[in-house]
Amino acid sequence: MRDIGIIFRRELNAYFYSPIAYVFSVIFVFLNTSIYMFHLFFLGNADMRSFFSTLPIVLGLIFIPAVSMRLWSEEKKLGTIQLLLTLPIKTEHIVLGKFLASFVFYCIALAGTLTIPVALFFLGNPDIGPIIGGYFGAVLLGGFFLSVGIFISSFFSDQIISLIITSLVLGFLTLIGWQYVPMVIDGWIPGLGTFLYKYIGVTAHFNDIERGVIDIKSIIYFLSFTSLFLYLNVKVLERRKY
Amino acid sequence: MIELKNVSKIYGQTKALDNVSFSVKRGEIIGFVGPNGAGKTTAMKIITTYSLPTEGSVKVGGYDVTANPIEVQKMIGYLPETVPLYADMLVDEYLSFIGEARHLNGNFKQRRDWVIEACGLESVLHRKIAVLSKGYKQRTCLAQALIHDPDVLILDEPTSGLDPLQIIGIRKLIKDLSTKKTIIFSTHILPEVATIADRILVINKGKIVGDGTFEELRESVTKYNTLVLGVKGKKGDIENSLKNIKAVQDVKVEQNTSTDEIRYKIFYESGADILEDINAILRERKLDVVTLHHEKLSLEDSFIRLTGEDKEASREGGVK
Repeated sequence: MRDIGIIFRRELNAYFYSPIAYVFSVIFVFLNTSIYMFHLFFLGNADMRSFFSTLPIVLGLIFIPAVSMRLWSEEKKLGTIQLLLTLPIKTEHIVLGKFLASFVFYCIALAGTLTIPVALFFLGNPDIGPIIGGYFGAVLLGGFFLSVGIFISSFFSDQIISLIITSLVLGFLTLIGWQYVPMVIDGWIPGLGTFLYKYIGVTAHFNDIERGVIDIKSIIYFLSFTSLFLYLNVKVLERRKY
Repeated sequence: MIELKNVSKIYGQTKALDNVSFSVKRGEIIGFVGPNGAGKTTAMKIITTYSLPTEGSVKVGGYDVTANPIEVQKMIGYLPETVPLYADMLVDEYLSFIGEARHLNGNFKQRRDWVIEACGLESVLHRKIAVLSKGYKQRTCLAQALIHDPDVLILDEPTSGLDPLQIIGIRKLIKDLSTKKTIIFSTHILPEVATIADRILVINKGKIVGDGTFEELRESVTKYNTLVLGVKGKKGDIENSLKNIKAVQDVKVEQNTSTDEIRYKIFYESGADILEDINAILRERKLDVVTLHHEKLSLEDSFIRLTGEDKEASREGGVK
């Protein structure tokens, strides 16, 4: 537990050492709120549905890959991986510490968008349920995406490569949950699209939670995939020793 | 303290280490030499648990690196060749992080002060690592390896990138530490191994090709000794007479044009006594001796012989 904390603190500080983190957080908050504001004034509804519907693609394509790319790629480039993996700390604790740091950093950025619900309460009378559900889903979704990102980052010593690959993978996971994408895939190989949509696609599960339907199945989906990728990350790092 | 038994390491198609066995006693300083790509770094990575052996077993302080990596990691201070530093951190922050990760707690302050003093980091403590000179980076990383007062120190080229004064400082530090610690260091600077190492391991193409003190190694590679004889010249050439001595393998003549001295380099089988024969020749020709001394094989020559980089030289054994 203590070792996780040591790694966690160093990693979280590392985000604030570099300007990249600030730049991406500002872009993240700005992009999300501006896309949303357009919908808000256009439709005039005091809810956050359009915010949460664009969130997965913004997270998957831009923000999460930018946050997770450095986690292992930077260590590999600087050679500090050699230091880190020869400190008397278990590999799983290092992975968890790194993951939690990126997760907390993400939550801080996500908290930056809380200005929207605050503004909504001044402007109208929004339904609180879906907003809480939406944020809860966003936290789970971010955790899952980050676990994929940190896993991919452990393969490359170039941060840009990590960013692009993560972006592609998360983009795929998001798109597969959009109804018409699985339909197209079903057209090629019948059944595959529906299967991917149901079991792999992120959006369907996220939409469930975001609608205020906090289904245990969706929570299990997010938590188990997050754990799986963190576990695979540990395995990749141990495998590398051979 | 450190024990490698039949260790091999295979990366894809290449055998980085090939059935390597050696052991290091507590308190010994081992100099690890060999050409680039010989397997020095690979061996160090395996001892420090960064890499696992493909075959064989490695034990540090009685703990197996595969079964008990954490125990081994606690015991070792490691300075990798790549000098791993977090460029964005201050030197002080970096040392604190390592101190925390090494669970120093109570005596952290005392250890921190000691490494700052020993590695001369006082003036750069609050500087960003990214802006440090190569020498300071090297020393910050060395401080990292020393902060927990480890029993075993693994130093991969500890003096690379340092200026001559700093090199002397680091050598002295290693020598001082050696009273309590077991140290393995690698280097390309051959006089360095001769001055600080108790024992030298020469590695080439993944195999240990030499193991012993510098003197032992030198003897093992020289089948022939070299005697340099200088006489006043112009009174007849004795080259053929010298060649006729039984134990002599070859003679080379060098004439110094400014003085009238002629130098004969006599290569003869080690252990044989040829002085009497030489004396007889000199008396017969009534020649005056100007110089007479044994030529020792230089460090570089011994190294070349051991690693077999110069096949010609080793085949002819001493004759150059």
